[in-house]
Amino acid sequence: MKRAPPAPESVILSPEIFFFGMIDDWEASAKKQLALYRKPPPPVSKSSLRPNRSLKLRFLSLFSAARQLLRLLSSSQTTKKMRSKRNLNGSDEKDLQKRKESNLVEIEKRIEEAETSSDDSPFVSDFEDSENDDDETLMGGEGSSDESGSQESDLSVSEDEDTFQSRYDDEDDDNAVSPHGDKADEHDNDGVEDNTGGSDDSREIVEESDSSEDEVAPRNTIGDVPLKWYKDEEHIGYDLSGKKIKKKEKKSKLDSFLARTDDAKSWRKIIDEYNDEEVELTKEEINLIRRMMDSKAPHADFDPYPSYIDWFTWDGAKHPLSNAPEPKRRFIPSKWDAKKVVKYVRAIRNGQIKLDDKPKEEPKFYDLWGEASSADRQGLAYIPAPKPKLPGHEESYNPSLEYIPTQEEINAYQLMFEEDRPKFIPKQYTSLRSVPAYEKAVQETFDRCLDLYLCPRVHKKRINIDPESLKPKLPSPRNLKPYPTTCYLEYRGHKGPVVTISAEATGQWLASGSKDGTVRIWEVETGRCLQIWDIGEPINEVEWNPELPILAVAAGQDVFILKTSCGSDEHQKKIEDLLHVQPQVEADDSNTNESIVNWLQDDTHGGIRLKHFKTVTKVEWHRKGDYLSTLMPSDILFPAIYMQ
Amino acid sequence: MGIDDGEGEGEARQVQVRFVTKLQHPYKVQQASISIPANLTRFGLSALVNNLLFTANVNWTTEPFDFLIDGELVRMSLEEFLIAKGISAEKVLEIEYIKAVAPRKQEEPSLHDDWVSAVDGSSDGYILTGCYDGFGRIWKAGGVCTHVLDGHSGSLTSVCNLMPKVDSIADQVVATGSKDRTLRLWEFGEEDTIDQPKKIRSVKILRGHTGAVQSIAGIPSSDMLCSGSWDCTINLWNTSATDTDDSVSVKKRKTGGQDEEALSEGDALTTLVGHTQCVSTVVWPQRETIYSGSWDHSIRRWDVETGKDSFNMSSALIAAGGSDPVLRVWDPRKPGTLSPIFQFSSHNSWISSCKWHNKSWYHLVSASFDGKVMLWDLRTAWPLAVIDTHSDKVLCADWWKGDSVISGGADSKLCISSGVPVL
Repeated sequence: MKRAPPAPESVILSPEIFFFGMIDDWEASAKKQLALYRKPPPPVSKSSLRPNRSLKLRFLSLFSAARQLLRLLSSSQTTKKMRSKRNLNGSDEKDLQKRKESNLVEIEKRIEEAETSSDDSPFVSDFEDSENDDDETLMGGEGSSDESGSQESDLSVSEDEDTFQSRYDDEDDDNAVSPHGDKADEHDNDGVEDNTGGSDDSREIVEESDSSEDEVAPRNTIGDVPLKWYKDEEHIGYDLSGKKIKKKEKKSKLDSFLARTDDAKSWRKIIDEYNDEEVELTKEEINLIRRMMDSKAPHADFDPYPSYIDWFTWDGAKHPLSNAPEPKRRFIPSKWDAKKVVKYVRAIRNGQIKLDDKPKEEPKFYDLWGEASSADRQGLAYIPAPKPKLPGHEESYNPSLEYIPTQEEINAYQLMFEEDRPKFIPKQYTSLRSVPAYEKAVQETFDRCLDLYLCPRVHKKRINIDPESLKPKLPSPRNLKPYPTTCYLEYRGHKGPVVTISAEATGQWLASGSKDGTVRIWEVETGRCLQIWDIGEPINEVEWNPELPILAVAAGQDVFILKTSCGSDEHQKKIEDLLHVQPQVEADDSNTNESIVNWLQDDTHGGIRLKHFKTVTKVEWHRKGDYLSTLMPSDILFPAIYMQ
Repeated sequence: MGIDDGEGEGEARQVQVRFVTKLQHPYKVQQASISIPANLTRFGLSALVNNLLFTANVNWTTEPFDFLIDGELVRMSLEEFLIAKGISAEKVLEIEYIKAVAPRKQEEPSLHDDWVSAVDGSSDGYILTGCYDGFGRIWKAGGVCTHVLDGHSGSLTSVCNLMPKVDSIADQVVATGSKDRTLRLWEFGEEDTIDQPKKIRSVKILRGHTGAVQSIAGIPSSDMLCSGSWDCTINLWNTSATDTDDSVSVKKRKTGGQDEEALSEGDALTTLVGHTQCVSTVVWPQRETIYSGSWDHSIRRWDVETGKDSFNMSSALIAAGGSDPVLRVWDPRKPGTLSPIFQFSSHNSWISSCKWHNKSWYHLVSASFDGKVMLWDLRTAWPLAVIDTHSDKVLCADWWKGDSVISGGADSKLCISSGVPVL
């Protein structure tokens, strides 16, 4: 009768209720499953009925769910206390053992009573009895040592038994006076379990689970004591008035299983051992369990990541916390701060404090094809690596046909020098996958490294100036408007082509020489011709003296220095003097060096005539007007001194 | 009388107008407003007014008129004008008509021996001209030379009347500037020697310029004279010192030449220095200020009292032409800007001369090397009239007697276009 698998002290619900009718193989798997939870192996159910596989699985999952739920609901504190108590009271073990035994006896009696009370099926009761006996004989002897064997034997027996029991269960349901008919059933089952799997277990479990604490005041008032203390008792505790709460009769396993299969809601029923009643979990509770199994927050409306509301910011707060006026120190600069600042400023100025800038962020990757930025590396010897050529269309795995060389071309490549030969011959592949490895990759990498290594580190100065920018910017022709566009004034009079003109220093007069042998002086303003000299030879050059209104005219082999009518009286006098004195001096000169220049008085034109031996093409005054130079195309320059 | 009384689309648009005028009696028409087609031009309007006047007065002889709308001369068809000026054609349009400013008569040209370089018509009794042959001439009317001013050794560049006495020709003093760097003052009285112009000698010679005198200007009712010269200076001279200075500087009696009167010499009172090029023109409109134009591309205003070059212009408009065919008018009173307010660009060549009418605010004459003399009105951008009598460059132009334009040019002619009804 007495045998108890060494149930651990940890929380154990009465899982056996879910394991009715489990067959061996899945029992084993269930055991494994439970082992994962480090739970004791589930007690063996004797039921021989075989529910289908899915049902079993569902049972299994529900089992674990219920276990979790009750674990949650039961206060862990109590268990701890219990444990410690138990450890202290290790000596009670034997008493407990005894109590259990007596308890079992009582249960047996009770079952017998129940069987006798049920008129319909004495046979069943007998049967059950015998079964119970079986159990006892098997278990009583050596406890759980030979569990599996006993279970098997049990099962063989209980196949029939359950079928009968279901009927019996129905009867029982009908007769049940208690409001929780189902619970009664459960308890019956429990009783049966106890007989088979060990009543120790069930007791303990009942003790430690006080689920209904929140909702309803517990009927049982025993508090946080281990239930196993009541294992051998007929009551499970005391109600508020101090009366004993009787243990409910336990249904036979068969009955309870049958009731369970009939009841669609049975899967959500668990047993509250503490109050010794069966509790049907509500939908919400099931959901709660489900969510916890998914390791979510138990309540669906709990948001684990709410948006943070900063309740303690005062932005836009209408009223300040304190209405006190700003203290004076807020708007008076602190003397000590100022001193400190001055100190720092001095230190910075003297270089004692160095303000180091932020460390520059190094670019993570080297932009191989980017623009050469030597700005980062300003070293003198730094030479940026030459950029490799970017891959083009011909490097594509499937280039257009025009990139693919024909066979002749490939053959032609072979005839080329190796250096000229293209290193890469485009080929067409149907897919990227079929492109073979580039056989020259290593070689080329090596070559490139070699190039970089052997690069001559010589700086070539190259001025990087856009040549366009060097061009002067031309203003638009519209802005250049006062350039001569229209002929406003014509100086008419010359008969031949005008070959030379010269403007007087003040800009009032203009002298012109023409091929017709005349020299004319014009008034610039009106175009009036003021004076005409007919030299007779084509004029090569006319030139105003920069100071005096004298005109030098080169015509043929002569240079004439002509007096003009422009200029003041003093000027005229001076000129007359100059041009009169000259002939005598020049006459002397002509004696001495007659070969170069002959100075002659030219009265017809009113001036001097300098006779050269060759054609004079150019005549030029000195800036100050004292000297005159003439140019003959022979080869020598003859400076003619012209005294003033 | 309504506007476009549904007469049909083909009919020209009608405008209601009323002709007004400031002219005196025989030119007045009735004030009633009449409706006229909008496509009428100035000519049509003129014909219309003439018709109106003819209906009022049978002896009326046709007279060209010019028309002002809101102070603007009408130079296109009425419709275009209204659109261009944004004037509403709905209300009765008031059109003022004035006599068209155009010469009615060309008088006989007065022939010179050489180019006519300067002309002055500020005296009603005569015209003073300067010529390249070095003589100044005084003309009583077209072709009638009364005096020849003989004395300059260089060609004249500028002439001006000093103290013009409008009523009589007697005892006139005129000044001339010449390329011989001197200015001379002349006096002459009324003498009727029509057959032979009388030669007169200068009464005073003003020396001081080192370059050719380019322009002279006297101020009315004063004895001051200013001159601009090629030596980049402007000299101020006193002209009234003829008698007082006699004792000081008498002389210049050339032995070889004909008898010469006592010739007083004068020196410059002051010299205004500032221009960097030839001072090509000077004007002395008021006692305090002289305006001068120069080949250094600037027009300057001089304060006579201080001799300073002052830029705060405060007088009326200045007109100037230069070595481009644009006649420009500045308003020195307008602050902050130095850009011209009017630009007239109908000439084809350099503008050699320009003169304001001395009575009218609007009228302006300009002479150009293209041989044309043009009359301008500030109220329109088109020239009022073009006088095309010269066959060569026109070198000078002036108003005479308020209703004539005189001009001299490189064709040695002095042209007188009379009958210009400015006022």
